Amino acid sequence: MKELEDAANYIVSPDVYSLDPVPLQTPDQNRIYPFYDNLKQNRLTTTKCADCGHIAWPPRIVCPKCMSDRLDWVDFPETGQIYAFTVQTAATPPGFNPPVVYALIDFDNGLRIISPIVDCDPAQVEAGAQVVLKVVPAPRDRVLFFFRLK
Amino acid sequence: MTKWGRRAATFRDLVAEAGKATFDSNPNIKPANVKSFIISTVYPERSAYQGHPAPLAAEWCGVRPEEFHCRVENQCGSGTTAIRTAYAAIKAGLTDMVMIVGAEKILIPSHQEVFLNAMAGCDREWESCFGVTPPPLFAMVAQAHMKSYGTTEEQLALVSVKNHDHSRHNPFAHHQKGATLDQVMSSRPIATPLKLFDCSTNTDGAAGVIVAKEDLARDLCDKPIYILGTAQINQGYPWANYHKDWSSWPALKTAGEKAYSMAGIAPEDVDLAEVHDCFTISEIMEYEELGFCPKGEGGPFVENRLSDYGGRVVVNPSGGLIACGHPFGATGIRQAYEAFVQLRGEAGARQVPGARIALTHNLSGLGEHHILIYGRD
Repeated sequence: MKELEDAANYIVSPDVYSLDPVPLQTPDQNRIYPFYDNLKQNRLTTTKCADCGHIAWPPRIVCPKCMSDRLDWVDFPETGQIYAFTVQTAATPPGFNPPVVYALIDFDNGLRIISPIVDCDPAQVEAGAQVVLKVVPAPRDRVLFFFRLK
Repeated sequence: MTKWGRRAATFRDLVAEAGKATFDSNPNIKPANVKSFIISTVYPERSAYQGHPAPLAAEWCGVRPEEFHCRVENQCGSGTTAIRTAYAAIKAGLTDMVMIVGAEKILIPSHQEVFLNAMAGCDREWESCFGVTPPPLFAMVAQAHMKSYGTTEEQLALVSVKNHDHSRHNPFAHHQKGATLDQVMSSRPIATPLKLFDCSTNTDGAAGVIVAKEDLARDLCDKPIYILGTAQINQGYPWANYHKDWSSWPALKTAGEKAYSMAGIAPEDVDLAEVHDCFTISEIMEYEELGFCPKGEGGPFVENRLSDYGGRVVVNPSGGLIACGHPFGATGIRQAYEAFVQLRGEAGARQVPGARIALTHNLSGLGEHHILIYGRD
Protein backbone atom coordinates (compact mmCIF):
# COMPACT_ATOMS: atom_id res chain seq x y z
CA MET A 1 0.00 0.00 0.00
CA LYS A 2 2.84 2.33 0.94
CA GLU A 3 4.48 1.58 -2.40
CA LEU A 4 1.28 2.49 -4.23
CA GLU A 5 1.04 5.75 -2.37
CA ASP A 6 4.65 6.51 -3.22
CA ALA A 7 3.95 5.77 -6.88
CA ALA A 8 0.99 8.14 -6.85
CA ASN A 9 3.10 10.82 -5.23
CA TYR A 10 5.77 10.34 -7.86
CA ILE A 11 3.28 10.88 -10.66
CA VAL A 12 2.23 14.27 -9.27
CA SER A 13 5.75 15.24 -8.18
CA PRO A 14 6.72 18.81 -9.05
CA ASP A 15 9.77 17.34 -10.79
CA VAL A 16 7.53 15.67 -13.34
CA TYR A 17 6.33 18.38 -15.65
CA SER A 18 5.60 18.68 -19.31
CA LEU A 19 4.00 21.18 -21.62
CA ASP A 20 5.52 24.16 -19.96
CA PRO A 21 4.65 26.52 -22.81
CA VAL A 22 7.80 28.62 -22.54
CA PRO A 23 10.50 27.43 -25.00
CA LEU A 24 13.73 25.83 -23.84
CA GLN A 25 16.35 28.53 -24.41
CA THR A 26 19.81 27.22 -23.57
CA PRO A 27 22.58 25.83 -25.83
CA ASP A 28 22.17 22.33 -24.35
CA GLN A 29 18.50 22.21 -25.39
CA ASN A 30 17.96 24.38 -28.44
CA ARG A 31 20.08 25.30 -31.46
CA ILE A 32 18.23 28.59 -31.74
CA TYR A 33 19.53 29.73 -28.33
CA PRO A 34 21.27 32.90 -29.67
CA PHE A 35 17.78 34.35 -30.24
CA TYR A 36 17.18 34.16 -26.50
CA ASP A 37 20.67 35.38 -25.62
CA ASN A 38 20.03 38.41 -27.84
CA LEU A 39 16.61 38.90 -26.29
CA LYS A 40 18.18 39.03 -22.84
CA GLN A 41 20.27 41.94 -24.23
CA ASN A 42 17.00 43.62 -25.27
CA ARG A 43 17.60 42.78 -28.94
CA LEU A 44 14.84 41.23 -31.07
CA THR A 45 16.59 39.28 -33.81
CA THR A 46 16.05 36.65 -36.44
CA THR A 47 18.09 34.79 -39.03
CA LYS A 48 19.17 36.01 -42.46
CA CYS A 49 20.55 33.54 -44.97
CA ALA A 50 24.20 34.25 -45.82
CA ASP A 51 23.73 32.61 -49.23
CA CYS A 52 20.37 33.88 -50.58
CA GLY A 53 19.66 36.79 -48.24
CA HIS A 54 16.23 35.53 -47.15
CA ILE A 55 15.13 36.85 -43.75
CA ALA A 56 13.00 34.26 -41.95
CA TRP A 57 10.51 34.37 -39.11
CA PRO A 58 10.71 32.55 -36.79
CA PRO A 59 14.52 32.18 -36.85
CA ARG A 60 15.79 28.98 -38.47
CA ILE A 61 18.73 26.67 -38.45
CA VAL A 62 18.18 25.96 -42.16
CA CYS A 63 17.07 28.58 -44.72
CA PRO A 64 13.58 27.57 -45.96
CA LYS A 65 14.25 29.19 -49.37
CA CYS A 66 17.61 27.67 -50.34
CA MET A 67 18.37 25.03 -47.67
CA SER A 68 21.62 26.73 -46.74
CA ASP A 69 22.65 26.36 -43.12
CA ARG A 70 24.86 29.48 -43.19
CA LEU A 71 22.66 31.92 -41.31
CA ASP A 72 23.44 35.26 -39.64
CA TRP A 73 21.57 36.99 -36.83
CA VAL A 74 20.00 40.32 -37.78
CA ASP A 75 18.10 42.83 -35.66
CA PHE A 76 14.45 43.76 -36.16
CA PRO A 77 13.64 47.44 -36.70
CA GLU A 78 13.11 49.06 -33.31
CA THR A 79 9.50 49.99 -34.02
CA GLY A 80 6.62 47.91 -35.32
CA GLN A 81 3.10 48.88 -36.32
CA ILE A 82 -0.16 47.24 -35.22
CA TYR A 83 -2.04 45.75 -38.19
CA ALA A 84 -4.97 44.43 -36.12
CA PHE A 85 -5.59 43.69 -32.45
CA THR A 86 -8.14 42.19 -30.08
CA VAL A 87 -8.80 42.49 -26.37
CA GLN A 88 -9.30 39.02 -24.94
CA THR A 89 -11.38 39.07 -21.78
CA ALA A 90 -12.13 35.36 -21.31
CA ALA A 91 -10.96 31.86 -22.26
CA THR A 92 -7.27 32.66 -21.80
CA PRO A 93 -4.91 29.80 -20.86
CA PRO A 94 -3.70 29.49 -17.27
CA GLY A 95 -1.14 32.15 -16.40
CA PHE A 96 -2.55 34.71 -18.85
CA ASN A 97 -4.96 36.74 -16.83
CA PRO A 98 -7.49 38.72 -18.83
CA PRO A 99 -7.74 41.27 -20.21
CA VAL A 100 -4.91 40.52 -22.64
CA VAL A 101 -4.35 42.59 -25.80
CA TYR A 102 -3.12 40.48 -28.71
CA ALA A 103 -1.85 42.16 -31.87
CA LEU A 104 -0.46 41.42 -35.31
CA ILE A 105 2.62 43.60 -35.53
CA ASP A 106 4.21 44.49 -38.88
CA PHE A 107 7.85 45.53 -39.30
CA ASP A 108 9.44 47.24 -42.28
CA ASN A 109 11.72 44.23 -42.81
CA GLY A 110 8.57 42.56 -44.18
CA LEU A 111 7.98 40.35 -41.16
CA ARG A 112 4.93 40.06 -38.93
CA ILE A 113 4.82 38.90 -35.31
CA ILE A 114 1.86 37.98 -33.09
CA SER A 115 2.36 39.03 -29.50
CA PRO A 116 0.63 40.66 -26.52
CA ILE A 117 0.72 44.43 -26.06
CA VAL A 118 1.41 45.03 -22.36
CA ASP A 119 1.69 48.01 -19.97
CA CYS A 120 -1.31 49.73 -21.52
CA ASP A 121 -4.94 50.54 -21.01
CA PRO A 122 -6.60 48.32 -23.68
CA ALA A 123 -8.75 51.31 -24.65
CA GLN A 124 -5.58 53.14 -25.80
CA VAL A 125 -4.60 50.51 -28.36
CA GLU A 126 -5.50 51.13 -31.98
CA ALA A 127 -4.66 49.73 -35.40
CA GLY A 128 -1.72 51.65 -36.87
CA ALA A 129 -0.18 52.39 -33.46
CA GLN A 130 3.61 52.10 -33.08
CA VAL A 131 4.98 49.52 -30.64
CA VAL A 132 8.40 48.62 -29.22
CA LEU A 133 9.87 45.49 -27.66
CA LYS A 134 9.29 44.68 -24.00
CA VAL A 135 11.27 41.69 -22.73
CA VAL A 136 9.60 39.94 -19.80
CA PRO A 137 11.01 37.27 -17.49
CA ALA A 138 9.61 33.73 -17.57
CA PRO A 139 10.11 30.82 -15.10
CA ARG A 140 13.51 29.07 -14.89
CA ASP A 141 15.65 32.00 -16.11
CA ARG A 142 13.86 32.29 -19.43
CA VAL A 143 12.43 35.31 -21.25
CA LEU A 144 9.50 36.11 -23.52
CA PHE A 145 9.07 39.02 -25.93
CA PHE A 146 6.02 41.20 -25.56
CA PHE A 147 5.46 44.71 -26.94
CA ARG A 148 4.30 48.04 -25.53
CA LEU A 149 2.97 51.22 -27.10
CA LYS A 150 5.76 53.57 -28.17
CA MET B 1 -22.79 9.70 -34.53
CA THR B 2 -22.59 9.76 -30.76
CA LYS B 3 -24.46 12.35 -28.77
CA TRP B 4 -22.23 15.44 -28.69
CA GLY B 5 -21.93 17.62 -25.61
CA ARG B 6 -20.57 17.54 -22.09
CA ARG B 7 -20.31 13.78 -21.95
CA ALA B 8 -19.87 11.54 -18.89
CA ALA B 9 -17.58 9.36 -21.02
CA THR B 10 -13.89 8.76 -21.65
CA PHE B 11 -12.06 9.02 -24.98
CA ARG B 12 -12.40 5.29 -25.52
CA ASP B 13 -16.08 5.29 -24.53
CA LEU B 14 -16.66 7.84 -27.29
CA VAL B 15 -14.73 5.70 -29.81
CA ALA B 16 -16.75 2.59 -28.89
CA GLU B 17 -20.06 4.47 -29.15
CA ALA B 18 -19.15 5.81 -32.61
CA GLY B 19 -18.03 2.33 -33.71
CA LYS B 20 -21.35 0.81 -32.66
CA ALA B 21 -23.35 3.62 -34.30
CA THR B 22 -21.43 3.12 -37.54
CA PHE B 23 -22.01 -0.63 -37.65
CA ASP B 24 -25.65 -0.24 -36.55
CA SER B 25 -26.23 2.08 -39.52
CA ASN B 26 -25.40 -0.67 -42.01
CA PRO B 27 -26.21 -4.31 -41.15
CA ASN B 28 -24.23 -5.51 -44.19
CA ILE B 29 -20.91 -4.50 -42.63
CA LYS B 30 -19.57 -6.31 -39.56
CA PRO B 31 -16.35 -5.61 -37.66
CA ALA B 32 -14.80 -8.80 -39.08
CA ASN B 33 -15.28 -7.44 -42.65
CA VAL B 34 -13.29 -4.31 -41.90
CA LYS B 35 -9.67 -4.65 -42.91
CA SER B 36 -8.67 -0.99 -42.71
CA PHE B 37 -9.18 1.57 -39.96
CA ILE B 38 -8.32 5.21 -39.35
CA ILE B 39 -8.73 7.14 -36.12
CA SER B 40 -8.94 10.90 -36.51
CA THR B 41 -8.01 12.56 -33.25
CA VAL B 42 -5.94 15.58 -32.26
CA TYR B 43 -4.72 15.38 -28.71
CA PRO B 44 -5.57 12.19 -26.83
CA GLU B 45 -2.01 12.54 -25.47
CA ARG B 46 -3.27 15.60 -23.58
CA SER B 47 -6.88 14.85 -22.78
CA ALA B 48 -6.65 11.10 -22.18
CA TYR B 49 -2.85 10.66 -21.72
CA GLN B 50 -3.04 8.20 -24.58
CA GLY B 51 -0.76 8.12 -27.59
CA HIS B 52 -0.76 5.42 -30.32
CA PRO B 53 -4.55 5.56 -30.60
CA ALA B 54 -5.10 3.71 -33.91
CA PRO B 55 -4.78 0.09 -32.73
CA LEU B 56 -6.53 0.93 -29.48
CA ALA B 57 -9.48 2.55 -31.22
CA ALA B 58 -9.70 -0.29 -33.75
CA GLU B 59 -9.85 -2.81 -30.91
CA TRP B 60 -12.63 -0.81 -29.20
CA CYS B 61 -14.60 -1.00 -32.44
CA GLY B 62 -14.01 -4.75 -32.72
CA VAL B 63 -11.74 -4.30 -35.73
CA ARG B 64 -8.41 -6.07 -36.39
CA PRO B 65 -7.09 -4.22 -39.46
CA GLU B 66 -4.89 -6.27 -41.78
CA GLU B 67 -4.60 -3.97 -44.80
CA PHE B 68 -4.28 -0.36 -43.67
CA HIS B 69 -4.46 1.48 -40.36
CA CYS B 70 -3.21 4.75 -38.95
CA ARG B 71 -4.04 7.77 -36.89
CA VAL B 72 -4.63 11.03 -38.78
CA GLU B 73 -3.98 14.37 -37.13
CA ASN B 74 -4.28 17.75 -38.79
CA GLN B 75 -5.69 19.76 -35.89
CA CYS B 76 -9.25 20.96 -36.64
CA GLY B 77 -9.03 19.58 -40.19
CA SER B 78 -8.22 16.04 -39.07
CA GLY B 79 -11.58 14.53 -40.03
CA THR B 80 -11.58 15.69 -43.63
CA THR B 81 -7.90 14.77 -43.89
CA ALA B 82 -8.76 11.27 -42.62
CA ILE B 83 -11.42 10.80 -45.31
CA ARG B 84 -8.93 11.99 -47.95
CA THR B 85 -6.39 9.52 -46.56
CA ALA B 86 -8.90 6.66 -46.86
CA TYR B 87 -9.76 7.81 -50.40
CA ALA B 88 -6.07 7.83 -51.32
CA ALA B 89 -5.48 4.37 -49.82
CA ILE B 90 -8.40 2.94 -51.80
CA LYS B 91 -7.33 4.70 -55.01
CA ALA B 92 -3.81 3.34 -54.51
CA GLY B 93 -5.19 -0.19 -54.29
CA LEU B 94 -3.97 -0.84 -50.76
CA THR B 95 -7.46 -1.69 -49.58
CA ASP B 96 -11.10 -1.67 -50.77
CA MET B 97 -12.81 -0.25 -47.70
CA VAL B 98 -11.79 1.87 -44.70
CA MET B 99 -13.65 2.55 -41.48
CA ILE B 100 -12.91 5.98 -40.03
CA VAL B 101 -13.73 7.07 -36.51
CA GLY B 102 -13.19 10.67 -35.41
CA ALA B 103 -13.16 11.20 -31.66
CA GLU B 104 -12.09 13.88 -29.23
CA LYS B 105 -12.36 14.22 -25.48
CA ILE B 106 -12.22 17.97 -24.82
CA LEU B 107 -13.95 18.53 -21.47
CA ILE B 108 -11.57 17.22 -18.85
CA PRO B 109 -12.02 18.03 -15.14
CA SER B 110 -9.85 21.18 -15.15
CA HIS B 111 -11.48 23.84 -17.30
CA GLN B 112 -8.21 25.80 -17.48
CA GLU B 113 -6.50 22.78 -18.98
CA VAL B 114 -8.88 22.90 -21.95
CA PHE B 115 -7.26 26.19 -22.95
CA LEU B 116 -3.78 24.90 -22.12
CA ASN B 117 -4.47 22.03 -24.54
CA ALA B 118 -5.65 24.46 -27.21
CA MET B 119 -2.19 26.07 -27.11
CA ALA B 120 -0.66 22.84 -28.40
CA GLY B 121 -2.48 23.31 -31.71
CA CYS B 122 -0.77 26.59 -32.58
CA ASP B 123 3.01 27.11 -32.86
CA ARG B 124 3.88 26.55 -29.22
CA GLU B 125 7.41 27.99 -29.26
CA TRP B 126 6.68 31.15 -31.28
CA GLU B 127 3.01 31.99 -30.65
CA SER B 128 1.25 29.80 -28.09
CA CYS B 129 3.87 30.58 -25.46
CA PHE B 130 2.24 34.02 -25.33
CA GLY B 131 -1.12 32.45 -24.55
CA VAL B 132 -2.27 32.75 -28.16
CA THR B 133 -5.18 30.40 -28.94
CA PRO B 134 -7.78 30.49 -31.73
CA PRO B 135 -10.24 33.01 -30.20
CA PRO B 136 -7.91 36.05 -30.40
CA LEU B 137 -6.65 34.97 -33.83
CA PHE B 138 -10.13 34.76 -35.36
CA ALA B 139 -11.08 37.94 -33.51
CA MET B 140 -8.34 39.68 -35.52
CA VAL B 141 -9.76 38.17 -38.72
CA ALA B 142 -13.09 39.75 -37.75
CA GLN B 143 -11.38 43.09 -37.04
CA ALA B 144 -9.71 43.01 -40.47
CA HIS B 145 -12.93 42.03 -42.26
CA MET B 146 -14.99 44.69 -40.49
CA LYS B 147 -12.41 47.30 -41.46
CA SER B 148 -12.14 46.23 -45.12
CA TYR B 149 -15.80 45.49 -45.85
CA GLY B 150 -17.89 47.14 -43.15
CA THR B 151 -19.09 43.80 -41.77
CA THR B 152 -21.04 44.37 -38.54
CA GLU B 153 -21.17 42.55 -35.21
CA GLU B 154 -24.85 41.95 -35.87
CA GLN B 155 -24.05 40.19 -39.17
CA LEU B 156 -21.58 37.97 -37.29
CA ALA B 157 -24.28 37.23 -34.71
CA LEU B 158 -26.77 36.25 -37.43
CA VAL B 159 -24.51 33.31 -38.38
CA SER B 160 -24.86 32.04 -34.82
CA VAL B 161 -28.63 32.61 -34.77
CA LYS B 162 -28.99 30.64 -38.03
CA ASN B 163 -26.82 27.74 -36.90
CA HIS B 164 -28.49 27.52 -33.48
CA ASP B 165 -31.83 27.53 -35.31
CA HIS B 166 -30.72 24.62 -37.54
CA SER B 167 -29.47 22.50 -34.64
CA ARG B 168 -32.92 22.51 -33.02
CA HIS B 169 -33.61 19.62 -35.40
CA ASN B 170 -30.30 17.80 -34.89
CA PRO B 171 -30.58 15.26 -32.04
CA PHE B 172 -26.77 14.85 -31.90
CA ALA B 173 -25.99 18.56 -31.45
CA HIS B 174 -24.58 19.95 -28.23
CA HIS B 175 -27.03 22.88 -28.35
CA GLN B 176 -30.62 22.29 -29.49
CA LYS B 177 -32.54 25.20 -27.97
CA GLY B 178 -31.95 27.89 -30.59
CA ALA B 179 -30.66 31.40 -29.82
CA THR B 180 -32.10 34.86 -30.47
CA LEU B 181 -30.14 37.76 -31.93
CA ASP B 182 -30.41 39.49 -28.58
CA GLN B 183 -29.01 36.43 -26.76
CA VAL B 184 -26.02 36.28 -29.12
CA MET B 185 -25.35 40.03 -29.06
CA SER B 186 -25.56 40.21 -25.27
CA SER B 187 -23.49 37.08 -24.60
CA ARG B 188 -20.23 37.38 -22.69
CA PRO B 189 -17.35 39.08 -24.57
CA ILE B 190 -14.48 36.67 -25.35
CA ALA B 191 -12.07 38.57 -27.65
CA THR B 192 -13.32 41.77 -29.29
CA PRO B 193 -15.51 41.68 -31.35
CA LEU B 194 -16.26 37.98 -30.70
CA LYS B 195 -18.69 37.01 -27.97
CA LEU B 196 -19.42 33.63 -26.44
CA PHE B 197 -22.11 32.78 -29.01
CA ASP B 198 -19.74 33.74 -31.87
CA CYS B 199 -17.53 30.82 -30.84
CA SER B 200 -17.85 27.08 -31.41
CA THR B 201 -18.23 25.10 -28.22
CA ASN B 202 -15.84 22.93 -26.26
CA THR B 203 -17.57 19.59 -26.73
CA ASP B 204 -16.93 15.87 -26.39
CA GLY B 205 -17.99 13.70 -29.29
CA ALA B 206 -17.26 11.10 -31.92
CA ALA B 207 -18.54 10.04 -35.31
CA GLY B 208 -17.84 7.26 -37.80
CA VAL B 209 -18.00 6.79 -41.54
CA ILE B 210 -17.10 4.01 -43.98
CA VAL B 211 -15.42 4.75 -47.31
CA ALA B 212 -15.35 2.00 -49.93
CA LYS B 213 -14.48 1.40 -53.57
CA GLU B 214 -17.36 2.33 -55.85
CA ASP B 215 -18.52 -1.19 -56.83
CA LEU B 216 -18.20 -2.47 -53.28
CA ALA B 217 -20.15 0.51 -51.92
CA ARG B 218 -22.99 -0.31 -54.33
CA ASP B 219 -23.05 -3.91 -53.06
CA LEU B 220 -23.04 -2.88 -49.41
CA CYS B 221 -25.71 -0.19 -49.35
CA ASP B 222 -28.77 1.05 -51.22
CA LYS B 223 -27.80 4.70 -51.33
CA PRO B 224 -24.03 5.12 -51.66
CA ILE B 225 -22.71 8.68 -51.66
CA TYR B 226 -19.91 9.50 -54.08
CA ILE B 227 -16.79 11.60 -53.53
CA LEU B 228 -16.82 13.93 -56.55
CA GLY B 229 -13.96 16.25 -55.68
CA THR B 230 -11.49 17.14 -53.00
CA ALA B 231 -8.66 19.58 -52.35
CA GLN B 232 -6.27 20.54 -49.61
CA ILE B 233 -3.87 23.43 -49.15
CA ASN B 234 -1.49 24.96 -46.64
CA GLN B 235 0.07 28.37 -47.26
CA GLY B 236 2.44 29.24 -44.45
CA TYR B 237 2.75 28.72 -40.72
CA PRO B 238 2.80 29.88 -37.96
CA TRP B 239 -0.12 32.29 -38.01
CA ALA B 240 2.11 35.35 -38.45
CA ASN B 241 3.33 33.87 -41.73
CA TYR B 242 -0.04 33.57 -43.47
CA HIS B 243 -0.83 36.13 -46.19
CA LYS B 244 -0.79 39.74 -44.94
CA ASP B 245 -4.42 40.73 -45.57
CA TRP B 246 -6.45 38.85 -42.96
CA SER B 247 -9.75 40.00 -44.46
CA SER B 248 -9.29 37.50 -47.30
CA TRP B 249 -8.27 33.83 -47.33
CA PRO B 250 -6.71 33.27 -50.77
CA ALA B 251 -5.71 29.70 -49.85
CA LEU B 252 -9.35 28.72 -49.39
CA LYS B 253 -10.29 30.34 -52.71
CA THR B 254 -7.59 28.29 -54.47
CA ALA B 255 -8.58 25.03 -52.74
CA GLY B 256 -12.26 25.62 -53.50
CA GLU B 257 -11.57 26.20 -57.18
CA LYS B 258 -9.52 22.99 -57.33
CA ALA B 259 -12.25 20.94 -55.65
CA TYR B 260 -14.98 22.39 -57.90
CA SER B 261 -12.86 21.69 -60.96
CA MET B 262 -12.25 18.06 -59.92
CA ALA B 263 -15.98 17.60 -59.29
CA GLY B 264 -16.88 19.34 -62.57
CA ILE B 265 -19.26 21.70 -60.79
CA ALA B 266 -19.60 25.39 -59.93
CA PRO B 267 -20.38 26.96 -56.53
CA GLU B 268 -24.02 27.48 -57.67
CA ASP B 269 -24.41 23.69 -57.95
CA VAL B 270 -23.85 23.13 -54.21
CA ASP B 271 -27.14 22.42 -52.41
CA LEU B 272 -25.73 22.35 -48.90
CA ALA B 273 -22.38 23.09 -47.32
CA GLU B 274 -21.07 22.01 -43.96
CA VAL B 275 -18.35 24.58 -43.44
CA HIS B 276 -15.92 25.27 -40.62
CA ASP B 277 -17.73 27.88 -38.50
CA CYS B 278 -15.26 27.66 -35.62
CA PHE B 279 -16.22 31.32 -35.19
CA THR B 280 -19.01 33.29 -36.89
CA ILE B 281 -16.49 35.32 -38.90
CA SER B 282 -15.11 32.06 -40.37
CA GLU B 283 -18.44 31.18 -41.95
CA ILE B 284 -18.70 34.67 -43.49
CA MET B 285 -15.18 34.31 -44.95
CA GLU B 286 -16.13 30.88 -46.29
CA TYR B 287 -19.23 32.14 -48.14
CA GLU B 288 -16.93 34.53 -49.97
CA GLU B 289 -13.89 32.35 -50.65
CA LEU B 290 -15.96 29.31 -51.67
CA GLY B 291 -17.77 31.49 -54.21
CA PHE B 292 -21.26 31.46 -52.67
CA CYS B 293 -21.24 35.28 -52.81
CA PRO B 294 -18.88 37.99 -54.09
CA LYS B 295 -15.84 38.92 -51.96
CA GLY B 296 -16.78 41.25 -49.12
CA GLU B 297 -20.49 40.46 -49.23
CA GLY B 298 -20.57 37.66 -46.65
CA GLY B 299 -22.26 39.89 -44.08
CA PRO B 300 -25.19 40.87 -46.31
CA PHE B 301 -25.33 37.23 -47.55
CA VAL B 302 -26.29 35.93 -44.10
CA GLU B 303 -28.38 39.00 -43.33
CA ASN B 304 -30.49 38.38 -46.45
CA ARG B 305 -30.91 34.70 -45.43
CA LEU B 306 -29.15 33.49 -48.57
CA SER B 307 -27.25 30.84 -46.56
CA ASP B 308 -30.46 29.47 -45.05
CA TYR B 309 -33.30 27.24 -46.25
CA GLY B 310 -34.89 28.91 -49.26
CA GLY B 311 -31.68 30.84 -50.01
CA ARG B 312 -28.85 30.13 -52.47
CA VAL B 313 -27.16 27.34 -50.47
CA VAL B 314 -28.03 25.93 -47.06
CA VAL B 315 -24.92 26.40 -44.95
CA ASN B 316 -24.51 24.22 -41.88
CA PRO B 317 -27.93 22.53 -41.78
CA SER B 318 -26.56 20.47 -38.87
CA GLY B 319 -25.94 23.59 -36.78
CA GLY B 320 -22.23 23.58 -37.61
CA LEU B 321 -19.40 23.77 -35.12
CA ILE B 322 -21.14 26.61 -33.31
CA ALA B 323 -24.20 24.59 -32.32
CA CYS B 324 -23.05 20.95 -32.66
CA GLY B 325 -19.82 21.71 -30.80
CA HIS B 326 -16.29 21.10 -32.03
CA PRO B 327 -14.48 17.96 -30.82
CA PHE B 328 -11.57 18.61 -33.19
CA GLY B 329 -10.81 15.17 -34.65
CA ALA B 330 -14.50 14.29 -34.95
CA THR B 331 -15.76 17.43 -36.72
CA GLY B 332 -14.87 16.50 -40.30
CA ILE B 333 -16.45 13.07 -39.82
CA ARG B 334 -19.61 14.68 -38.43
CA GLN B 335 -19.72 16.92 -41.50
CA ALA B 336 -19.52 13.82 -43.71
CA TYR B 337 -22.35 12.25 -41.69
CA GLU B 338 -24.49 15.34 -42.31
CA ALA B 339 -23.67 15.30 -46.04
CA PHE B 340 -24.60 11.59 -46.22
CA VAL B 341 -27.99 11.87 -44.46
CA GLN B 342 -28.88 14.98 -46.45
CA LEU B 343 -27.96 13.45 -49.81
CA ARG B 344 -29.87 10.27 -48.89
CA GLY B 345 -32.95 12.34 -48.01
CA GLU B 346 -32.86 11.04 -44.43
CA ALA B 347 -32.32 14.32 -42.54
CA GLY B 348 -35.91 14.65 -41.26
CA ALA B 349 -36.95 18.15 -40.16
CA ARG B 350 -33.63 19.64 -41.29
CA GLN B 351 -33.71 18.06 -44.76
CA VAL B 352 -32.48 20.32 -47.55
CA PRO B 353 -35.12 19.72 -50.26
CA GLY B 354 -33.79 17.83 -53.29
CA ALA B 355 -30.17 17.86 -52.10
CA ARG B 356 -27.86 16.39 -54.75
CA ILE B 357 -24.46 17.93 -54.02
CA ALA B 358 -22.88 18.67 -50.63
CA LEU B 359 -19.60 20.38 -49.82
CA THR B 360 -17.72 19.95 -46.56
CA HIS B 361 -14.89 22.20 -45.44
CA ASN B 362 -12.48 22.04 -42.53
CA LEU B 363 -9.76 24.51 -41.73
CA SER B 364 -6.71 24.23 -39.48
CA GLY B 365 -5.59 27.84 -39.89
CA LEU B 366 -6.24 30.83 -42.15
CA GLY B 367 -4.07 29.34 -44.90
CA GLU B 368 -4.82 25.67 -44.26
CA HIS B 369 -8.00 24.17 -45.71
CA HIS B 370 -9.46 20.74 -46.48
CA ILE B 371 -12.46 20.26 -48.79
CA LEU B 372 -14.60 17.34 -49.95
CA ILE B 373 -17.49 17.46 -52.42
CA TYR B 374 -20.04 14.64 -52.25
CA GLY B 375 -22.75 13.72 -54.76
CA ARG B 376 -25.86 11.57 -54.65
CA ASP B 377 -25.57 10.48 -58.27
